[in-house]
Amino acid sequence: MARGRPERLLLPLLLGWICAVSVLPMARLALEGISPSLPGAPDDLALVVFSDARVWRAAWRTLVVSLAATAFSAVVGAAAALALGLSALPGRRALAFLFVLPMLVPPQIAALSWISALGPSSALLNALGLAPPLGTPHPLYSPGGIALLLGVQHAPLVFLTLMAGLRRFPAGLVEAARLAGAGRAAVLGGIVLPLLTPALAAGAALAFIAAIGNFGIAALLGIPAGYTVLTVVIWQRLAGLGPSGLSEAALMSLLLAALAALALAVEAHAGRRGRRFVTAGATAPAPPLALGAWTRPLLALFVLYLAAVLALPLAALVSTALVPAAGVRLSASTATVANFVSVLFVQRNTIVAFRNSLVLAAASAAILVMTALLMTRVRLPRAARLAIDLPYALPGVCVAVAAILVYLRPLPLVGASLYGTLGLILIAYLARFQSLALKPLAGAAARLDPALEEAARLAGAGPVRRLATIALPLLAPACAAAAILVALTALNEITLSILLYASGSQTLGVVVFGLNDGGAAGQAAAVSVVSLLLVLALMGAASLAARRLPPGTLPWSP
Amino acid sequence: MSAPILRRHLAAATLAAALPMTALAVAPPASAQPLSGRLVIYTSQLEADAQGTADAFRARHPGVEVEWVRGGTNALIPRLRAEFAAGNPRADVLLIADSLTMETLKAENRLLRWADAPRAGVPAAHVDPDGFYWGTKLITTGIVRNARAPMTISSWNDLADARARNLVTMPSPSVSGAALIHVYAIVQNPALGWDYLERLARNGLTVRGGNGAVMQSVAGGERAFGMIIDYLPIREAAKGAPVQFVFPAEGVSAITEPVAILAGTRNEAAAKAFVAFLLSREGQELASRQGFLPADPAVAPPAGFPEPASIRVMPLDARRALAEAEAVQRRFAALIGQ
Repeated sequence: MARGRPERLLLPLLLGWICAVSVLPMARLALEGISPSLPGAPDDLALVVFSDARVWRAAWRTLVVSLAATAFSAVVGAAAALALGLSALPGRRALAFLFVLPMLVPPQIAALSWISALGPSSALLNALGLAPPLGTPHPLYSPGGIALLLGVQHAPLVFLTLMAGLRRFPAGLVEAARLAGAGRAAVLGGIVLPLLTPALAAGAALAFIAAIGNFGIAALLGIPAGYTVLTVVIWQRLAGLGPSGLSEAALMSLLLAALAALALAVEAHAGRRGRRFVTAGATAPAPPLALGAWTRPLLALFVLYLAAVLALPLAALVSTALVPAAGVRLSASTATVANFVSVLFVQRNTIVAFRNSLVLAAASAAILVMTALLMTRVRLPRAARLAIDLPYALPGVCVAVAAILVYLRPLPLVGASLYGTLGLILIAYLARFQSLALKPLAGAAARLDPALEEAARLAGAGPVRRLATIALPLLAPACAAAAILVALTALNEITLSILLYASGSQTLGVVVFGLNDGGAAGQAAAVSVVSLLLVLALMGAASLAARRLPPGTLPWSP
Repeated sequence: MSAPILRRHLAAATLAAALPMTALAVAPPASAQPLSGRLVIYTSQLEADAQGTADAFRARHPGVEVEWVRGGTNALIPRLRAEFAAGNPRADVLLIADSLTMETLKAENRLLRWADAPRAGVPAAHVDPDGFYWGTKLITTGIVRNARAPMTISSWNDLADARARNLVTMPSPSVSGAALIHVYAIVQNPALGWDYLERLARNGLTVRGGNGAVMQSVAGGERAFGMIIDYLPIREAAKGAPVQFVFPAEGVSAITEPVAILAGTRNEAAAKAFVAFLLSREGQELASRQGFLPADPAVAPPAGFPEPASIRVMPLDARRALAEAEAVQRRFAALIGQ
């Protein structure tokens, strides 16, 4: 069937966008590995890098911790999404809201709070007489600790992707199965899970590439544990002495690219299997499953999990922000708001950073959700999907270096360089986070019934009208999930902007990192507390605005 | 190079030739004319200090528009290298933690030579004899001790004592330039050397990320002792943190937070004025006010520091350290199980 002109134009336009945003910087980085532009690198650099046993050991470790972390994220994220999306659990909307928040807790705060909660100086363990003696090695400084922290940090990626899938769930199928006498397990295994395969595969792939490209947690726990993964080795070469670091990092990035390609292949395979099940149009939301005797244990499990990953780190964050110096115990006599006053009213750059990060988060979410929505209208070649995933699977510092390599020189025609402006950070964010927007949308779009659009086309609806009246309402929950993922990740972003900012374009991540780096942990915590409150307010405002959107658009809206 | 800048250089050169040498030592030639233009500084100073330094310099040279970017040395170096590779470095001045990084940049011809820079009261030992970089302060690495630690300490050897087993931490040399210099200084010290590091490793030495992580670990009681740069515990102790900083008897290692001018600077006159300002009495007093040990021993140190004359700095041969860098880092990493 001949497609309309606008649709034939869409694919080349999108491929052009992907080339400009992702392929160009990635290709420039790869070129740096093949032919170094700085003098002083040995001719056989590739041989040197790829014959180094430490590089392969690090690659193996990346694979091991990332698989373990992905398994954790997938199980926890999927279990939470199923429980909150399908069941009649009391308070499920509030729980869905809270489940997303750990994305905003800086990982070093989560790690430190667990270390002190389980370590020799734990107030709780000391009160129980169970505290290990001073100097006991902490179990979190281990491969398992890295996987656990990565798993917790990325569980919301799987959760949000699946929630979007569940929000347009064919209630009819479930209803029919129940009428035919199928039990809860049969409904779950026979209908729900197969239907959710594309969304689950997309969420798990996202968690996997987020894990292999993670630097913060890997460095925080891996360096003390003596367990160096690829991102840490790459960063050590980049920051090390000698002119060949850039090229070595580019070469090692190829290993991460291979891992990302593997994840994409698995995701595509699972997506193809899941595509056999399609949603026949928008149906009324399924009536929530009654849980009966399972209600209380399930609720207890949620409360315990959220206490560990949210309440404990938040308590640590707030108490760090309220004491005057590191190691001082919080009490009525030591509490002070000096840290808040200092970051909000004395240091000029914090307010600028808040503004910049909010602008960047909003702009990247808007642009990326829009392009991702358009991408679901065409069949993207596998290479294009890999180009989209790649900037998220590499450590942020590599993406930043690539952006510098491409954009340092003045732009042709314009005559001015983007370097040092908020514009370049935005471009780098668009490259890095496109995958976060595309995967939830692709997972949801894979389940749409082409018959709906076909009918509309036969009825004479143009492409824009079909997008607005058929795809958009059906994909609204996935769009919201994508926007939340991009915006929250952008707000917390550090490694890209630390290499790309100049005075006036610093981000929240730059400020928090700088304060922590200089030992001002209290002020860093104060900035994090304020940004969490700000995001809570914004999410609340979004919930109010969502009343005008199709029902169920936000994961926690009715 | 634009014509006005060229003219200014010529004017400065003429002026310099006409002035007697004594006058030159007091006032650098660049300040003879009001400076202008933009000066981009890449610095690993803390946020507030970078702001303070820029403000103080602007007070002296109001015509110069100072722009600074701060980051750990390990974030600034990848950034600079990417800028080099793209062929267009943006920074004029580099003010970073350690001289080893400066040595490599000097070897790669990335720095501007200024042989007769006025180093004022800063001892010759703290500046590059070839005139490529100049130390601006002393940041020493000593020992931080938690108030609840089981023993007091006065020597590096105390950390290898059985009572300190599993209680000692230090920043990772792959993260902190100061920690890297510290390892080199210990290796080069005949009284300590690899033997000492091996004893420490056997005694359960662990590494954390940067100095900030060591500070939190020791202040929070996760570890009792840490090797750490001086100002973090001294500042935090003044605010009530339960820690104390010790200058061990054998001496401390030190980094000098050197300043250098990049070879491709677009504002050489202002860059030179900035270097001269940091080394001047005024610049050194600013460093002291910011809570750092000034490089100029004649300038009074900030509260909490001992008399500069009483601080013993372990000697470090930078050339030897650079030549052995790769081997030392590998051996140390293997020692602590990396």
